[in-house]
Amino acid sequence: MEGLILVKDGDIASGCNELFKTFLTSGKLEAILVSQETPNGKMAFPALISDPEKLRSNILSPILPVSEASEISRMTINKGSDKPVGVVIRPCQVRALTEIVKLNQANLENIVVISMDCPGTMDVNTFSNLPEGKVPTDIIMDHLLKGTDIDQYLRSSCRTCKDPVPMNADITIGLFGVDLGSGFLVQAHTESGERLLEGVKLEAYKGEREKAIAKVRGGKDAKREAFISSKKEIKGIEAIADFYDKCVNCHNCMNACPICYCKECIFHSSVFDSDANKYVHRAKNKGIMKMPDGALLFHITRMNHMILSCVECGLCEQACPSNIPLMDLLIPVAENAQRELDYYPGKDPDEKLPMVVFREDEYRSVGEK
Amino acid sequence: MVMIVMDSQELEAEAGETVLQVASRNNIQIPTLCHHPVIPPYSACRVCMVEVKQGNRTRLTASCSLPVSNGMEVRTTSERVLKARKVLMELYLARCPDSEELKAFAADLGVDTTRFDSYREVDDQCILCGLCVNICKESGNSTMGFIGRGTKRRIGTPFDKRSDHCLVCGACDFVCPTNCIDLKAIATREPIPRKSEFDEGLVQRGAMNIPFPQAIPNVPMIDRDSCNYFINGTCKICEKVCEPGAVKHDQEDEEIEVKVGSVIVSPGFEEYVPPTGDSYGYNVYPNVLTSIQFERMLSASGPYQGHVKRISDGETPKKIAWLQCVGSRDESCNSPYCSSVCCMYATKEAVIAKEHQGGDLDTHIYFMDHRSFGKDFDRYYERSKEEYGVIYRRSRVPRVEQDRETKDLLIRYVDDNGEVQEERYDMVVLSVGIQPCEALGDLSSALEINLNGYGFVETETYTPVETSRKGVYASGTVTEPKDIPESVTQASAAAADAAKDIASARGTEVVEKSYPSERNVMSEVPRIGVFICHCGINIGGVIDVPGVVEYAKTLPYVVLSDDNLFTCSQDSQEGVKEKIVELGLNRVVIASCTPRTHEALFQDTLREAGLNPHLFEMANLRDQNSWVHRGDPDTATGKAKDSVRMAVMKAAELFSVSHTKIPVNHDALVIGGGIAGMTAALSLGDQGFQTYLVEREAELGGHLRQIHLGVSGEDPQKLLKDKVERVTTHPNIKVYTGTRIEEIGGYVGNFNSNLKVEGAAENVLISHGVVIVATGALPYEPTEYGYGRNADVLTQTDLETMLAAGGESLSDVKEMVMIQCIGSRNDEHPYCSRVCCSNAIKNALKLKEVDPSATIYILYRDIRTYGYREDTLYRKAREKGIIFLRFEKGEDPVMEEKDGEMTITLKERVLGREITLHPDKLVLSRGMVPQDNMELAQQLKVPLNQDSFFSEAHVKLRPVDFSADGIFLCGLAHSPRFIEEAIIQAKATAARAVTIISRDSLETLGSIAHVNPRYCAGCRMCIDVCPYDAIDFDQEKRIAVVNEILCQGCGACATACPGGVSQQNTFTKRQVFAMIDTFMEG
Repeated sequence: MEGLILVKDGDIASGCNELFKTFLTSGKLEAILVSQETPNGKMAFPALISDPEKLRSNILSPILPVSEASEISRMTINKGSDKPVGVVIRPCQVRALTEIVKLNQANLENIVVISMDCPGTMDVNTFSNLPEGKVPTDIIMDHLLKGTDIDQYLRSSCRTCKDPVPMNADITIGLFGVDLGSGFLVQAHTESGERLLEGVKLEAYKGEREKAIAKVRGGKDAKREAFISSKKEIKGIEAIADFYDKCVNCHNCMNACPICYCKECIFHSSVFDSDANKYVHRAKNKGIMKMPDGALLFHITRMNHMILSCVECGLCEQACPSNIPLMDLLIPVAENAQRELDYYPGKDPDEKLPMVVFREDEYRSVGEK
Repeated sequence: MVMIVMDSQELEAEAGETVLQVASRNNIQIPTLCHHPVIPPYSACRVCMVEVKQGNRTRLTASCSLPVSNGMEVRTTSERVLKARKVLMELYLARCPDSEELKAFAADLGVDTTRFDSYREVDDQCILCGLCVNICKESGNSTMGFIGRGTKRRIGTPFDKRSDHCLVCGACDFVCPTNCIDLKAIATREPIPRKSEFDEGLVQRGAMNIPFPQAIPNVPMIDRDSCNYFINGTCKICEKVCEPGAVKHDQEDEEIEVKVGSVIVSPGFEEYVPPTGDSYGYNVYPNVLTSIQFERMLSASGPYQGHVKRISDGETPKKIAWLQCVGSRDESCNSPYCSSVCCMYATKEAVIAKEHQGGDLDTHIYFMDHRSFGKDFDRYYERSKEEYGVIYRRSRVPRVEQDRETKDLLIRYVDDNGEVQEERYDMVVLSVGIQPCEALGDLSSALEINLNGYGFVETETYTPVETSRKGVYASGTVTEPKDIPESVTQASAAAADAAKDIASARGTEVVEKSYPSERNVMSEVPRIGVFICHCGINIGGVIDVPGVVEYAKTLPYVVLSDDNLFTCSQDSQEGVKEKIVELGLNRVVIASCTPRTHEALFQDTLREAGLNPHLFEMANLRDQNSWVHRGDPDTATGKAKDSVRMAVMKAAELFSVSHTKIPVNHDALVIGGGIAGMTAALSLGDQGFQTYLVEREAELGGHLRQIHLGVSGEDPQKLLKDKVERVTTHPNIKVYTGTRIEEIGGYVGNFNSNLKVEGAAENVLISHGVVIVATGALPYEPTEYGYGRNADVLTQTDLETMLAAGGESLSDVKEMVMIQCIGSRNDEHPYCSRVCCSNAIKNALKLKEVDPSATIYILYRDIRTYGYREDTLYRKAREKGIIFLRFEKGEDPVMEEKDGEMTITLKERVLGREITLHPDKLVLSRGMVPQDNMELAQQLKVPLNQDSFFSEAHVKLRPVDFSADGIFLCGLAHSPRFIEEAIIQAKATAARAVTIISRDSLETLGSIAHVNPRYCAGCRMCIDVCPYDAIDFDQEKRIAVVNEILCQGCGACATACPGGVSQQNTFTKRQVFAMIDTFMEG
């Protein structure tokens, strides 16, 4: 099921907000999780809204301060919802959600996933410190309508987005290939999506969406490829240590990551409890030892644990207080590791994680031919 | 006791020891040329000279013959000593300027050139060290001696004549430092190499040898037929070089008498050895090998480390031919039977040879019928052709000829078009068959058991492991040629029958070992004892063991570091126990051979000393160190220090692990009441175990109900009647017919099943310790050739029923055609159904009996009458005039029907044209297809193979086990097979099941995993990766829970768990990180 929803004055954000409101007022949804501006208007956070009167969402607001998938995990990990709850999340977050469902960290029972074509998001600081007169939503609309280059505002992972069109959502809000002056596109891909759109007035859509998507994807792919090839190979322990030089071992990257799911990180557990003698012993090895000592092992271990499911949302990089360009390393590593195991995280909910699949022919490039 | 000072160390010595002995005992290296530990000091070479100060006198003297005396001061590397040695080496180089061995020795002492002119007057590389003369004398022979004086001095035999006395033992050659002994110049006798039996004569072996690597016990033995001592009472040099003094020439053969209740005969087979001078040229043409020789060649542990070489010139062959059926299917060598294994091993050899050599090798197999009838065999056969490019030619090759110059081999064969072709090969492999072993003659008379006409042990078809004498059972190739899975299966079956006879004595002679109670060490600071093993010279000959001992003393928590010549010897073990008690050790590290063979022994020592066996850690200094780094002692010693340090740091993190015991339910559940299920139930019942036999149908018997004719006159229906009678009246067997299993819960030793009995109001709940799956298979229901529509088209089952009724309904049949492989070996069912060839011939022969005038055609792809069936069926059928016509896959015979008449057309290869037949009856030899096994597979959590038959744990080594503990598999549910094979399998499952239900309890392993419930995030990755289904998910608590009995300690879960929540007792993250951390420090 698909069709256009017409809006006045090309106000897509309000149009969407009205649509979400009908989901609540009709009782089809018990509540809806959607990004909404904070009272001061300088920031937007996901909010779980049950009262339609409190709904003031702006899906065009280009900001992703925290992982939406992580919030859904927090809500549902112990028990799924008894009644339908909608979640409006970005494509990378749908992919992340798919991954953490495979890891049994979220329960999609009665969760209706609504996602949208994503023009990209800004870093939290860029967003809240835009020059006077610049309105984030206008920048995005300008880009969508006229094709202005907005890369200067976007986070690196959004500039090189792996796929800005959602997969595995129940409902997609289509912005690409749509005359946004008159309205936006909605598509229901599943029964629960169709149930939600029942009774919503839809106009026939006649645009060339596939072509528009191919163009956007093509542009992103080219930038991603250029990004990867522009990165120097970081090889050997010294080079990796140099890359993480600024790390203060705060583990914000881990907290921000939608994939990192351990109840207690092994680096917080007693496994690495030590005693002073051991430290001194280790310092004697090279005569000098950088402290805190576990930072590098932490990053390598974290990468080892999450890289195959990495959806490249870039939230780790955004969370880093030292501004380490984490995606410079993670995107090329994810690309290579996932290609090696023929795995595209977030694509197929039924595909098993590579870790639990035994394939005789995998890692041919490493082992014996 | 004598005290001496050597290189400023004070050393203790025994009176009578030489300076050299004291030095080498204390790891002080003194070079020698003429010294050998078994020969009395000779002091000829003078290289071992040292500077000795006694009183006020200082002199240079040879250390090998200088006895120690109290207060002696020795300097082994003083300037004077080094200078004198160098001059000596220069003199040696002047005598033997061309000896590579001498040059290397001199270079080690810092001498590269000589200032002296060559003074040599004899043309050899001999340095006159006298080792050869002395060892020959020592061995009691004195064949040679010194001749001449001064520069003319040399070694030789009396009058320079070749000696009659020389035994060509080769000891002189063995000790010569410059490799200049020519045995042929010394002896009149020709040296006769002792060929290694294990390596199939491809290489030689010593008189003292370990017959094969898996020998038990794995120690050398003396071959009395080639040992000098046993031939003429001389030598005994081995006694002198063996440090632990383990060589005993006076050991006598022992006669041991044991009283037993049953006997199993399992001496194996001998391969057919083609007679020298026959048409294949074996033993005459060097590049003609038997398949067993080729098998050794391919083996990585074989004589050429897995490289395939031509014997004639050592070149790698580019083209190899295999000739099948050498000594099989051949009455001329008294082997009219098929050896059953050669088709598959030839295929395997060709594939492996190609894998080793890549695309550079052509492999051709000349065969008559490809008998890949076993489970998954046809898949392998097809892969060998498609993936590896092995070429098969259907032609029996009568002879092999040799190109005299190149030693290439020429064979002629008949191609598909009937033309004779010639082809040249670098190597020809004769696929030799299986023959009864020679020893069987004596053995069978001693045991008073009958042999059959082929010379194998006689058994009846339906009692396939019972010999003619009650209480004596047979297994393996001794009853009929067979492959490994069948041999292993039959071995278990024989064990089941043998155990049945002595069931009442089970466990009566077991003596339980008792241990002191365990000391609680958890609150103690680690006190680690380190024991470093020399393993004779295995470790000590490469690694500086005293150096590693000293090093270990510097490591944290180590309170004792010591070495042993053999840590595993009884007195060393006593020593370890004493030290544990004396020093209050609470962790033990042993650095020695390998945990594979010795961990359990050492752990037992700890238990005997009152320590938990898991307070033990082992460093591998032999298998993974001294054996690998033989040529690099310094690196090996460094690595040994690393290994010991890592073991010590891990040991400090070890903790006591207790083993939980869970009681075992002694009852068994057998699913399926066909011949396999009934046989398994009876075997268990006869061994005294309560057995539940569950059959889905209302009646017992399964397929056996449809089988009426036996191959050699057996009566399958009588077998059925007997089994049903016994099963239903057996006091230990409870039969449930018309029953389905709704649920099977639990695990090995403690299963619970819920049975739905038809017509019963309530379900039956049973508890049992094991499960045997014998659910059978289904006959293929043909859709081909108008079956079901045309009344003249039958299956073999239909035909057999008619024949069993007397065959009157077939009286007007003049011509019958049978088509093989209906529903087998095609794309839908790519496997062979194994029984259809024999079955068809059996029925054809029966029809011939009823009506000798009937013409019978059997249309086939390969006739797979393996074993004796080759003789009793196939050969007989051809004698009786049954006509066999072959067709290729994809060229199936075509049937046309017109006016109620059938016409069968096929393209016949041998004749090269189309043949048209007009049968009255067409009989389809239909195959077998699996049951719908999925539901049961899911209930039991066991796998199915690609064809949807159940998958056993290991094709060869565990052929009737599932990988899940306590569940076993027999009959057609495993794969298609004959009645007698199903009986063997069923008995085998009973034997395997008894290994569990005969126990009172099962014990957990030490290395099992634990999930910390507090931190488990419930991701279930551990559950997905566990190969033993040993982890369950607790839905309520949302955590993974390890079933400790099922856990085998493989560590897959610990690897998958990112949070370190699942960890193994003896490989915790702390333990492993302790090792890694300390390794990085090195």
